[in-house]
Amino acid sequence: MSEMKWPYPAKVSQVNRMEADVIVLGGGIAGCMAAINAAKRGQSVILVEKGATKRSGAGGSGCDHWESAATNPCSGVSPEDLVQAMLDDNDGYNNGISHYIECREGWDHLQDIEKMGGKIRDTEDEFKGAAFRDEKTKLMFAYDYKNKFTIRIWGTTFKPAMEKECRRLGVKIVDRVMVTSLLTEGGKNGAKCVGATGVHTRTGEFYVFSSKAAIITMSRPARVWLFSAAYPGLCEFRPMCTIGDGHAMGWRAGAEFNMMEKSVRAEFSSAGRSFPPYSAGNNHNTWYPASLIDAEGKEIPYADRDGNILTDVEQRFQPAKGQHYFLKGGNIEQAKYAYDGPETLPYDKLKEMGYKLPFYADLSNMPELERKVIWGMMVGQEGKTNVPVYKNFTEAGFDPTKDVLQCYGVGWTSAEFLPQERQLFGMPGGFMNDWDLMTNIPGLFVAGDSLFSSNCFGHAASTGAYAGRKAAAYAAKQEGFIAPCETQVANEMERVYAPLGGDPVNGVSWKELNEAIAKAMQNYCGEQKRDELLLSGVDLLNRYEKEIVPRTYAANPHELMRLLEVFDILTVAQIILQACLARHQTCPKLEFYRTDDDGKAMAPFICIHNDGEKVVAREVPLDYAGDIRENYEKHNQDYMAEKTKEVQA
Amino acid sequence: MKEIKEFGFRQTPPATPLRFNAEKCIGCNRCMEVCMIDVMTPGEKGGHPVVSYPDECWYCGCCVMECPTGAISLHHPLMNQTRWVEKASLLKNRKEN
Repeated sequence: MSEMKWPYPAKVSQVNRMEADVIVLGGGIAGCMAAINAAKRGQSVILVEKGATKRSGAGGSGCDHWESAATNPCSGVSPEDLVQAMLDDNDGYNNGISHYIECREGWDHLQDIEKMGGKIRDTEDEFKGAAFRDEKTKLMFAYDYKNKFTIRIWGTTFKPAMEKECRRLGVKIVDRVMVTSLLTEGGKNGAKCVGATGVHTRTGEFYVFSSKAAIITMSRPARVWLFSAAYPGLCEFRPMCTIGDGHAMGWRAGAEFNMMEKSVRAEFSSAGRSFPPYSAGNNHNTWYPASLIDAEGKEIPYADRDGNILTDVEQRFQPAKGQHYFLKGGNIEQAKYAYDGPETLPYDKLKEMGYKLPFYADLSNMPELERKVIWGMMVGQEGKTNVPVYKNFTEAGFDPTKDVLQCYGVGWTSAEFLPQERQLFGMPGGFMNDWDLMTNIPGLFVAGDSLFSSNCFGHAASTGAYAGRKAAAYAAKQEGFIAPCETQVANEMERVYAPLGGDPVNGVSWKELNEAIAKAMQNYCGEQKRDELLLSGVDLLNRYEKEIVPRTYAANPHELMRLLEVFDILTVAQIILQACLARHQTCPKLEFYRTDDDGKAMAPFICIHNDGEKVVAREVPLDYAGDIRENYEKHNQDYMAEKTKEVQA
Repeated sequence: MKEIKEFGFRQTPPATPLRFNAEKCIGCNRCMEVCMIDVMTPGEKGGHPVVSYPDECWYCGCCVMECPTGAISLHHPLMNQTRWVEKASLLKNRKEN
């Protein structure tokens, strides 16, 4: 390798300056929808993406279902009911604003994506007559067939269609540029956002973007506790390039964060411990509600929330007696009683009843269209299953009418993780937002997985579109561009390029630093928290920042990108430790446990930011969004009028 | 066994995610350009790209979906390959017990 020459020209220290009314930072689902919606409102838009917009982001390769489309024509649940359930299910520790946007507008944006070329209906009548299909609209639903608010989608078609739409609308797409920092007015912490900087991941060229409004649509953090130098691409559920760069640059600029103390015991990491999601036997999400059988072929019973055994497959899609709707079934996210869906019996009970490991997922006895929609459509459309699972297994002879797929671990799980092996999963922390999805930094908007308590594809698309139109309205009101602070630009250039001048023989690689951070976080920020442990973690990470970061080395712009990502992971780890230090009581809904709980009443949201010198924390009421519907309507009269006009037309 | 006269070095790859069929590949580099992780770099003119960073692959399969000639196969590392059996073989176990 060392003999090989880098195939791209070296443009280190060359500066490319670009300007647009709105810059969108991150070209995934949220970023594309933000760019499209800002451009539609007449603003010039630049979309900056670290990879290639056509397929980049956590939803770029595919997705099989769109959650919470409460306003689709078949839905039996109102957006108000659904968001209330989401809030209640989490004791209020959830983002009422962003999830209401998802529930109320999701269906609008899904129809927009269809117009761009994304497939959302069974137009070929492949599933005609299926219980999950609405014959009139040809929409297909998952989970709760009575209330029909989760839509099955052909998600592999979405991202290329969105990229094409961006280009049609004149969005300037800048691929292969990693955004490294936000520019603020006068270079001041917490001041108005006036642009961003970036570095080309092939040539090393430096970019300075000037804007009137900026939208961060980057990922949630990852690789904070979990790392494998041998399989870095397989450490976490989402793509390895999506590690929370946005969180890190937001923190450095003075943005406020919420719920960053929340982390969950790892569920998905296939760097050795678990198997690739949906490639092993299971019965959740993509595979809901596959039958499971034991080692002797005996079928494992499903039960409703009251423990009543469900005798027919059809019952797995129905709410329990006296229940309006259920949120999810299939064991993965245990909802409260009010919203709990059908599940297989718990493993301990099954053991008592004589069921034997290993278990297998068995589609052979399911109604034909249920089998075909799981092994065919869903496994064929989900993000990491189309090629490595559906195509490869089919070519190797897997026949869902007679073969069964082994589960690993007990029940549906594909691994057992240790308590200190943690992830930001299950609606983790992120940027704090107001009703415009703006942060505390004027002109800085956020969407998708950058937001606190984000979850899925529909949430990313809906909040992206919403932030796009809010940023466009904000930009339209600005008088002109504010020139970037050149000292801030120069300092960032120095920071970004430093590792290229490091020691090629003894310099610390990105892998060594990432592994060290992950180990530190497992040691000092595991499941059980206490001040002494957290403070030791802070000390160690500060030492890494001061002593190790200056000793790192990157041989080329690609490795520089990987190293800058790990610097961002280091910043994220520091945010998490600070958020943990700011919460003094155990809070089960945040999966936050203190052995030195101070015994006082449990705090509501705790938001933290860095004011340039120190960390500032404040408490925010859990109901800060106010009356959800009323506030939404107050902030979206223009959009509502647009929609009414469309319907009339 | 083929005759070995001298030894060399090989970096020890924990996985080789992508294999190219040189006969089918037209050297268009579309796979390389679509990869969000940028694991590939250009190869010889007209040939397939070089997988310079195989460990960074996240196995999404976008390169395979993008390839116009079906020249790429993608496979998870050995440890990640799951097992399936014919259901009938399990039922047979039950009878024997």
